[in-house]
Amino acid sequence: MIAGRLRFETSHATEFVDVTKLVREEVRRSGLRTGRVHLQSLHTTVGLAINENEPLLLRDFQKLLERLAPGDVGYEHDDFARRYEISIDEPVNGHAHCRQLLLTGFATLLVEEGKLVLGRWQSVFAVELDGPRHRELALQLDGEFAPLSPAGRGFRGVRRELAPPGPAPQGGSPPSDSGAWVGTESELIELELARQLRVDPEPVAAPMRRLMEAGGKRLRPKLVQLTSQIGPRHDALRAASLAAAVELLHNATLVHDDYVDESTHRRGRPTVAAAEGAERAIAVGDYYFAKATRLIAEIGNTEVTSTMADALEAICAAQIDDVALRGAFPGDHDSYLRVVRGKTAALFAASCASGALLSDAPPEVVEALRRFGDLLGVAFQMADDMVDFSPSSGKPVGLDIRQRVLSLPLIYAAEDRSVGPEVRRLLAGSLGDEEVDRVTELVTASDALRRVGAEARGLVDAAVRELESIELDGLRPTLVGIARSAVDRTA
Amino acid sequence: MRALRCSAAPSIWTTWSPNLSPRIPAVPVGVLERELDRLEGLWGEGLSDTYRSYLESVSSHEPEMQPKLALAAALIEVGIRLQGLGGHAAPATTLLMGDLCLARASRLLADNATQAVQVAFAKAIEGVSAAAAAGKPSRPVRELLVHAFSAAA
Repeated sequence: MIAGRLRFETSHATEFVDVTKLVREEVRRSGLRTGRVHLQSLHTTVGLAINENEPLLLRDFQKLLERLAPGDVGYEHDDFARRYEISIDEPVNGHAHCRQLLLTGFATLLVEEGKLVLGRWQSVFAVELDGPRHRELALQLDGEFAPLSPAGRGFRGVRRELAPPGPAPQGGSPPSDSGAWVGTESELIELELARQLRVDPEPVAAPMRRLMEAGGKRLRPKLVQLTSQIGPRHDALRAASLAAAVELLHNATLVHDDYVDESTHRRGRPTVAAAEGAERAIAVGDYYFAKATRLIAEIGNTEVTSTMADALEAICAAQIDDVALRGAFPGDHDSYLRVVRGKTAALFAASCASGALLSDAPPEVVEALRRFGDLLGVAFQMADDMVDFSPSSGKPVGLDIRQRVLSLPLIYAAEDRSVGPEVRRLLAGSLGDEEVDRVTELVTASDALRRVGAEARGLVDAAVRELESIELDGLRPTLVGIARSAVDRTA
Repeated sequence: MRALRCSAAPSIWTTWSPNLSPRIPAVPVGVLERELDRLEGLWGEGLSDTYRSYLESVSSHEPEMQPKLALAAALIEVGIRLQGLGGHAAPATTLLMGDLCLARASRLLADNATQAVQVAFAKAIEGVSAAAAAGKPSRPVRELLVHAFSAAA
């Protein structure tokens, strides 16, 4: 089910606003194939009607309403002396309320084969009875929706789409968009993720839902959505489908990672392995690994499929390297970069490139975005490493040390002339609370965090430079903003 | 260039004795060489047998695709077995090797299989893992994958 609002402005006291076209457009955008559209007026002086859009007939309707509920006969509702708590701008509109009583506030329209079922002369009207005002109709679509993959269907070129319903309007306060869905594409991702999880078997869906609901920055799907707007073929639904698949894939890898790292908590909640056991964690990871690859394949863009498959392979290979390197903890800069480019940056790069590929962006743009994602991914991981030493991150400080996770601040601290020997000695032994605290203290006292921060910012600068020579259809500031905020963070 | 190599996790083979035939070649040269990067140890320890068992199932596909499709199926079967899916969870390093098998298979399918085959394979893994998560038995992986080939060919 999809919910949203239709918003419009009226220009007369009484006005028959034909919203048929708007409703048809929302049906087309939603991909509803067979089902129902429910409309509900959110005002006591706006009614709904289905009738013929013939100007003289509309004047007849208006006259009928005026005869049945004349405006000048005196209504008790308009006797403000007898009413309590009325606002200073309370309108004299008893007649409008009474006229609305003669209409309906609700309508259900049928949809078949993706089209609104209406007779030849039927139109859908929102009937303004106390205008002019800004008005709003609630709209819900339910039934069978087409898969989100067909090319060229719906949402093309629309930057702001589907939104969950907001609070009902108060006193005719003006909404903004005339006849448009409101909200952001990030909400479309959340809706698509929720939709995907809803159809999955509960033994796998429940743990994944808990993980996804616990948060996450959704950076990768955001990159997919943004870059999918760059080329000439922007389709928000296909982009949302790909973005959701990328997020599912990312979370599937996290489920296995947490088992490998023996992590007990992620995003403040028990990991799937800790809560449900290793066997369940492996199954959940496998299920969403497979599901994500299927969703990507179903999009039907071979370049996107290959790009994502390459990234997945890089992630798995790097994870093996990561574990192998723990024998030489904390490792060195080159090993660190090699692992991070696979474990983290590969999916960032693939997200950027695949969104652009989906939109038929030129090859030079795709490659520039791929490099942008690669650099951003490495910078992001460096910033993540620094968060481990931030008391304000909300996470336990020193977790990476305790788990012997590859971390650039630790590498730099171990190389440091003054604190290096002690850091190396401590890391070589068993790591209890005391040792972890001491290593944290040494890293913080050294130049390591400053060096990592500078290196991360340098990578972001390089990433931003990749965007300078390509046409990005006005999205450069947003991408740059994401890149900067990825490293300027404490959590 | 990848400097690191990880040997195949041998622990799984203690519970699964591959029927290593002297007729089976070592790592096949050419078409599959790249695809066995990091997995060479597995080839020698049973992946080759599994690979051969799928060759017949891919006979209806383009000849040049057949080895890669058979290898993809074999990697999925071996990968799932390495992970311990539906049984006892594998140790971390073995799980990661299983993950790499699945990822490699996914890439092989992405580069060589039709969309229908890719989808059928993914659905097979979804089915097996959903059953494992629910603690229910599943049809044998090989049966599912062979069916995926035939259904989508």
